[in-house]
Amino acid sequence: MAEPFRSGRKGLEVRLSDAERELLASLFTQLDTLLDDGRPESDDPFDELAALSGLAGLGEGIETLADADAARDAAAPPAPDDPAIARLFPEANRDDPDAAAEFRRLTETGLRARKRAAARAAAEVLSRPGTVLLDEGQAQSLLKSLTDLRLVLGERLGLRTDDDATRLGAMLMVGIEPYEGWQPLAVTYELLQHLQESLVQALMSKRR
Amino acid sequence: MSVAPVEVERPASDEAVVPDVPWVTIVWNDPVNLMSYVTYVFQTYFGYDTSKAEKLMLDVHEKGRAVVSNGSREEMERDTEAMHEYGLWATFRKDD
Repeated sequence: MAEPFRSGRKGLEVRLSDAERELLASLFTQLDTLLDDGRPESDDPFDELAALSGLAGLGEGIETLADADAARDAAAPPAPDDPAIARLFPEANRDDPDAAAEFRRLTETGLRARKRAAARAAAEVLSRPGTVLLDEGQAQSLLKSLTDLRLVLGERLGLRTDDDATRLGAMLMVGIEPYEGWQPLAVTYELLQHLQESLVQALMSKRR
Repeated sequence: MSVAPVEVERPASDEAVVPDVPWVTIVWNDPVNLMSYVTYVFQTYFGYDTSKAEKLMLDVHEKGRAVVSNGSREEMERDTEAMHEYGLWATFRKDD
């Protein structure tokens, strides 16, 4: 594969085949779906503000501070069930579960919304025909979403240690398949790692 | 972290970090994130120079964790949230 991302004078050039772009666009769309926790995402800016501050679903009717507290607690998302999604929203305080819960209440809705937006933007950008040029902001957004995608795949592949990740390539080379369907997942993971490295280097070269 | 080629410049002299506020943000090692990416995040978000960013990244990689910032609780929560947006595994805690 030619260098997938290249920093040029006009911007960051995406050099991927149509097949690669189609695969990636599909993966980012799946990521967006996976991140959907069924809580409403609204176009109304006030709703979004309310959602981001943990007051989603409040509507009217706060009569007292107690009401507001109750509504806030009701709006607090529980820790995600899916371990792959949980990795995207990890426990933020290992010593203090209350602090961790409060952090989740205050941040997860907004984080989730931003990650979904980045995944959708990535899918959109990769679906454009012809030469695609990204500015730094778009490239950084793609980089973050690529990371989210790799984290999800890493969880699905059961990667726990640095050794697990190193072993992946060797297992593919030798043809070991721990379970049916593992190989396409591992091949995809390796491809995404190659893309990540290329994109990071392209962004770093702009800084120099 | 995943090992991919990285240029490590000569480290700047060790700066002792003496926190005068009692909270810290910690980044933990994970098997997915690339060393180059972790370095890039430390440069981009915290504004650390290459030398400091690489030193912190190597601490994460080799020691399993590193303190990447210190300050008030609110500041550390903000930094932790930013790290999560970058997909890094970060926590905040009181600095003892």
